[in-house]
Parts: sequence; structure tokens; C-alpha cells
Amino acid sequence: MSLIPGLGLARGMALTLRRFFQPKATIRYPEVQADIPPRFRGRLQLLYDEYGTLKCETCFQCAQACPIECIDMGGMDTKGRFHVHWGAAETYGERREESALRRSGRPVPDPAYTPFEGLDVGPVDAILEGFDHDPAHLLAILEGVQAHYGYLPVAALKRISQTTGTWYAQIYGTASYYAHLRFDPPVVAGDAPRSPDAPGTSRPGDASYLAGLGASLTGRPGGDA
Amino acid sequence: MLVTPKDWPSVLLPKKPAADPVDLDAAIAAEAFSALRMAIRDLGPTGTIAAIGASGLRGRGGAGYPAADKWRTASSTPAAERIVVANGYGSDPSTTTDHVLMERNPYAVIEGLAIAALAIGAGEAIIAIRATAEAAVRTMETAIAATQEAGLIGPDTFGQGRHLDMSVRTVQGAYLLGEETILLKALEGKRGQPEQRPPHPASSGLRGLPTVVHNVQTLAAIPWIISNGSEAYAKIGARDCPGTMLVQVRGPEATGIAEVPMGTPLRKIVDLVGSGARPVKAVLVGGPSGGILPPDALDVPYTFAGLRAAGAHVGSGSVIVADDRVCIVDLARVLTRYCADEACGKTIPCRIGTRRLSEIGDRLAAGTSRAGDLDLLTDLAADIVGSALCDHERLATLPLVSGMRYFRAELDEHLERSSCPAGVCHPIAMTASATH
Ligand SMILES: Cc1cc2nc3c(=O)[nH]c(=O)nc-3n(C[C@H](O)[C@H](O)[C@H](O)COP(=O)(O)O)c2cc1C
Ligand code: SF4
Ligand code: FES
Repeated sequence: MSLIPGLGLARGMALTLRRFFQPKATIRYPEVQADIPPRFRGRLQLLYDEYGTLKCETCFQCAQACPIECIDMGGMDTKGRFHVHWGAAETYGERREESALRRSGRPVPDPAYTPFEGLDVGPVDAILEGFDHDPAHLLAILEGVQAHYGYLPVAALKRISQTTGTWYAQIYGTASYYAHLRFDPPVVAGDAPRSPDAPGTSRPGDASYLAGLGASLTGRPGGDA
Repeated sequence: MLVTPKDWPSVLLPKKPAADPVDLDAAIAAEAFSALRMAIRDLGPTGTIAAIGASGLRGRGGAGYPAADKWRTASSTPAAERIVVANGYGSDPSTTTDHVLMERNPYAVIEGLAIAALAIGAGEAIIAIRATAEAAVRTMETAIAATQEAGLIGPDTFGQGRHLDMSVRTVQGAYLLGEETILLKALEGKRGQPEQRPPHPASSGLRGLPTVVHNVQTLAAIPWIISNGSEAYAKIGARDCPGTMLVQVRGPEATGIAEVPMGTPLRKIVDLVGSGARPVKAVLVGGPSGGILPPDALDVPYTFAGLRAAGAHVGSGSVIVADDRVCIVDLARVLTRYCADEACGKTIPCRIGTRRLSEIGDRLAAGTSRAGDLDLLTDLAADIVGSALCDHERLATLPLVSGMRYFRAELDEHLERSSCPAGVCHPIAMTASATH
């Protein structure tokens, strides 16, 4: 409590008055747009939801939009180690465990720190040649590469990136969206190779939906709660 | 095919199936490509658009948007090139209607596509089919090759050297690829995620060019309309929604495809398969994101607007009849889970909203519901509908919301007493063992 009654109030009002005549920092966004330096990109910050899991879904939206390719995604593998698609591992301190990849029902590839295997990219070049190195045919190119190698090797993706001028993140983003494309060789011994969209079969997601629907219609629970 | 009443017309699939659907000579003998000739010689682009407009044809892909409106937008958008795309993806795993149409009546789709191309001034036509629908892919490829060989479409389709390139493109890998903006993304070799609209594809679609996307059933109706006249088509079915549609009806004992006049009361469609010895308990209309309707709501007309008002939608043209063995909570949960799993992750209602919906369903089934879960469901569904980017999220709310609207007592049993009247969910046992 100040000795002179009203001094605090006067001080407050003085501040108000001073601010009143100062230039305003608020702009009427979006009608008025701030003058942002051309190279300003903001600061990346990963947020957590109320359960403490990272909100990032590894959806690749930001990586695809980033013009200087400084953003990339990775995910923690099931053993709790890092796996990295691109860039130095130490750049990525935090990874979302339940990435979009895993939600897609596909095991996250685990090339961890092992450098990707060398590859004869001759066949990749031939495929690219067939499509005139046109990234508009990326899906068909990826399907062709998978048909040749049985999966999408990292070296092949890099080759596509180099020769079509498409960002690696975009290629990875596309490849990881489609359930029929895979990043790991089909399991051989004993296990049937995974080929979800082999002609005449249905996608694993569709098959389990149909099974669940069929069960539910005949009075059995259509899957675990 | 299901046996349908005699007075139901057939527009899309001939009453007597062709011996060999890809036999071009036989198809031409049966009047194929006469509509295209008429559209080129007599009607011209403007006349063709007017004829389709007068027929009242609405898109059969699910939303029921008037076809001619899309054509007008595309043809009035200034562009060097325009594109027409036939959506033959058939995203609903439980429905094969679009694939069956392409297998049995490929030339109607090709001719409809060519007429649409003529109307909007497109030089490129793409038929996008799910790669796993091998038979449809093979049939369409053969039929296109035969049409090109006969010179019906190709370098001088529309006279004066105006060409039409038609090709089949196979796509695969996700449920959502059926949505038009996503399909266009896939055709461009990109991630399958939807785009903000407007601009609609009709003004800026594939490669930024005006692109008209139609379901294959929409296209297959077009030659019929041109040959038989708009008035004849407008007389079929409902006044605000004329024509027919292929509906896949599945009951406990019988299943099949029927060509149904729009506006037919849902009950008549259900009666095509019946429910066997047990009573009908619910009817799922629209596919994985369909609405669950009770037996006393079956007088609703099978039209886009009618079904939406009842809390369901035409969607994939699937009608599934469930008898009294089904538990509504379990059914809605299975559907919602699939919709959430298939959501693309681009926006918050899609990424998080659908997942929370699915969790509410899981809690109901497991008997672990929290107080206020149904209010949360109502709020969440309204938020998703209000803020969604594509229709998938909006429609994904339908199973649970229609279940709550029509089967409230059954939901309350789960919620308040942790018991399942149908004896499907084992809520209490599950509560004990729920460890997640
Ligand atoms: C999740 C979702 C899936 C869809 N799947 C299909 C489909 O498999 N086939 C289709 O023709 N339209 C599908 N549509 C509708 C398309 O977005 C689009 O409206 C339609 O192809 C336009 O054709 P129309 O004018 O003939 O209706 C789907 C829409 C959504 C939201
Ligand atoms: S990957 Fe997707 S979810 Fe993750 S930060 Fe980027 S935009 Fe957000
Ligand atoms: S499904 Fe992701 S935005 Fe619609």
C-alpha cells in the first residue's frame, strides 16, 4: 500500500497513456499481413497431447512443405531405438512412437543406424527412363521399383529423388501412405511374403473390416475393444 | 444379380446380359455409340450439357451433385486442356457394383466418358480402377483398345481433328482413394490426402486443369439419356432425383446387386433379400460410414436427400440387412474403427476427431463408458461435421450418431448397466480384463 493514495493508480494510468501514443504492434491479421523476412520459417516445436504423447503423426505435411528440406520424420522403433529416414540421427531427439506408419498396420522399418545396403540402381534408371523421369508418375515408378526389388530400398528412393529432382521427404511421404508399398524385403523362410494388394486379394485393412463386419452381423464381437 | 420387380427399368445394366460384354460389334448392333454420334452431330457441347441438365442426372458417387453443373463449371473455366476422370475405384470393400458395371457394360462407361469429354471440351479421359479389381481392369482395357481400333475414339473423335485420349489407370492402397480430390492426388503420384475446396476439381483438378470426375454409374447413364431423351430419364424414379442406381443388397441369407429406381422406399430394397427366419433389427445404408436405421424408418425413399435426412447416406450403394443377432453398439464400433483407421491424418477432425469417436464406441462396448460420453459424442460429431476437410470425417460420425438416434435404449443398457441386450459385447467381463 503506497503512502500517497492513488499513486499506484496514477502510475498505471501513466503507463496506459504512454502505450496509447506508442506505435501499435498489433496488426489486423488476416486483412493486414506482417512484413516477414523472406527467409523466416518460424521455429519448429513438437507439442504433446493430454496423454503425454507427441501430437506429431509423422504425416509428412510439414516436411513436404519445407522448401529447404530441413524437416524430416522418423519414429522410435518397437525396441525403443531410433530409426532415421534421412538426416543425422542426433537431429531428432524426439520421435513419435505411434507414427502414422505404425497406424497403417505395417511394421516400421528398422534400418536403425545400419547404412543402407548398396544397390545396383541400373533397373531404377531404366524404370525412370520409361516414365521420362517425370515425378507425376511417382506412384507408378515406385510400383515398378517394388516389382523389381520386392520392396523399396533406400538407395532406390534416393536415386529417384536425385534424378527427378523430387524431395526425398516427398517420395518417402508418398511411399509411406500407400499400404501396398513396403520398405522392407518380404520375409522369405516359411513366412508368406507380404503383398497386400496382390491382384485378386484385398488390403489387410479391408480384410479385417470385412471379418469384423461379418462377425458383428452374426452376433459375435467384431474385434477387440 | 437379384431378381427385381418387372416394372423396374434397366438403364445401367441390360436386362439380358450380353454374351460377351467386350464384343464391340455386338454392342454396336445394340445401339452402342449411337448416342455419341448424336451428341457430336446434332447436339454439340451446349446441347449435350442442356440435355443432361434437363434429365436431372445426379452423380452416383455418393454426394448426388447435379452432373450438368459440374460440366458447366468445367467448360466455362478458361483452360488450354480439360480432363474427364471416371471414378471406378469402388472404395467400399463390401461393395462391387462399380466393378460389376465395368465388367458387364464397359461400352456404356466409355461412351458416357466420351460424351462428357465432348461436352466440356476435354482431350484426355482417364478411367481410374482399383488395381485389385482385375476383371474390371482387363475388360475396360480390352474395350478401350477395341473402340480405338474401330476409330470410334482417337485422333479425330469429335471431327475437325479434335482428339480424345482414353486410358485406364490402376490405383490402390487406401480406402480414401475413392474421394475425388484424393483420387486426383494418386493420379499425380502424390500422397492420398484431400484438398481444400473450392477450387473444385471442375475448375482446378488434375495438374491444375479443369477436371470433371464422375462415378462410372453416372457416366453409364449418359448414353441412355442422349438416346432416349431427357424427359424419359426424368420420368424414372424420384422427381428430385431421377434415374436408377446399382445397389448391393446383403442380407443374412441372400446377397446380390439390383438396379433400383431412385426414390424406391428402402423397405422394398430390403425385401429383395429379406432377413431369413429372424426379424430385421437394423439396416446399414451407405457402406462403412453408413447410417444404421431401424425397421420403422424403412419407408424413407432411396434418394440422396431422403437418406441424409434419415441419418444415413447413399454412399457406396450398399444396403446391409441385419437380423436380431446384431448388437448396434458393436456394429457401430466396427464401422467407426474402420473409418478412423482409414482417415488420412491431414486435419485435426480427421486425425484426432475420428479416433476419439472410435474410442467412445470402444468404451460403450467394453462397459467402461464415462458419464457424459453420449453428450461428448453429440458434441464431437457436431464439431467434426462443422470443421472437416473432406466428407470422410463428416460421414464417419454417422454410424454412432444414427445408432444413438434410433437405438438409444440399447446404448443406455451398455452405458448404465454395462450389459448388452443382444449378448454380443461382454462388457463386464471386458471391464475386468481391460488392461490398456
Ligand atoms: C471417403 C470417400 C470415398 C469415396 N469413394 C468413392 C468411390 O469409391 N467411387 C466413387 O465414384 N466416388 C467415391 N466418392 C465420391 C467422390 O468424392 C466424388 O464425389 C465422385 O466420384 C464424383 O462423381 P459423381 O459426380 O458421379 O458422384 C467418395 C467420397 C468419399 C468422401
Ligand atoms: S509430420 Fe504432420 S503431424 Fe508431424 S509435425 Fe509435420 S505436419 Fe504436424
Ligand atoms: S480423411 Fe483426412 S481430411 Fe478427410
